[in-house]
Amino acid sequence: MKPAGTYSGILSGGISGRTGPHLLPLARIKKIMKKSSDDVKMISGEAPIVFSKACELLIEEITKRAWNITVQGKRRTICKEDVASAVITTDTFDFLVNLVLDSANSQDSPRP
Amino acid sequence: MSEKEKENVVTEKVVSEADELPKTIVRRVVKDKLSQLSMDSEVSVLRDSLQGFCESARIFIHFLSATANDVCKESNRQIINAEDVFKALEEIEFAEFVPPLRTSLEEFRQKNAKRKSESLKAKETSKKGKKKEPSSTDGVGNKEEDEDEIEEE
Repeated sequence: MKPAGTYSGILSGGISGRTGPHLLPLARIKKIMKKSSDDVKMISGEAPIVFSKACELLIEEITKRAWNITVQGKRRTICKEDVASAVITTDTFDFLVNLVLDSANSQDSPRP
Repeated sequence: MSEKEKENVVTEKVVSEADELPKTIVRRVVKDKLSQLSMDSEVSVLRDSLQGFCESARIFIHFLSATANDVCKESNRQIINAEDVFKALEEIEFAEFVPPLRTSLEEFRQKNAKRKSESLKAKETSKKGKKKEPSSTDGVGNKEEDEDEIEEE
């Protein structure tokens, strides 16, 4: 299994240096950025690097908060509901509230 | 299967895997953070929960890109640069992310500058070696990955 660094290096066209132990694939990030709005056309080479690290920090922040909830419930496995609660109870994660509510709704759909 | 369930299935499959961030890397970030947080006990994460992390990161990129794009347009520029992203982070109340991101970017710039100077030296050495040979190449300069690489689609 290839390490993530090699994969992201190939996709970003030769950037072999990593900013840290993890580097989300830059090409994938650029793709998502361009889908965010029709206006987004030109992106500097550094912007995806910043996005990659920002995503790591976001994931770490959600993990920390979800972990707090898991531990408070005296459990040892973070489940989807812990992630949802972490998002709902954090003001800055308001933009993710629709995501977790949709996810909760799809789970709660009644089955015959 | 009821119609509502069919609809739910369709909704879940709207985002293809190619548009998502790789689960392996996201999982690694989560696991590393958990090992930092819980030194004694091992906390694990359900596979289904990882989907939530991936999706959250994807929506974050959308949100941050749109904001950075607005910042860029306000400055009458067309290329979103790192400073636009930092300003956007402050606007969406993620200002605490900015200092570590600046540090990380600076490290990347230094590594890149070092790599460029090393490759330039290597090119000069190879040019000196090739001077005696008749040049049959197109003479197109190498287009190296630059920090300020501009992309357009």
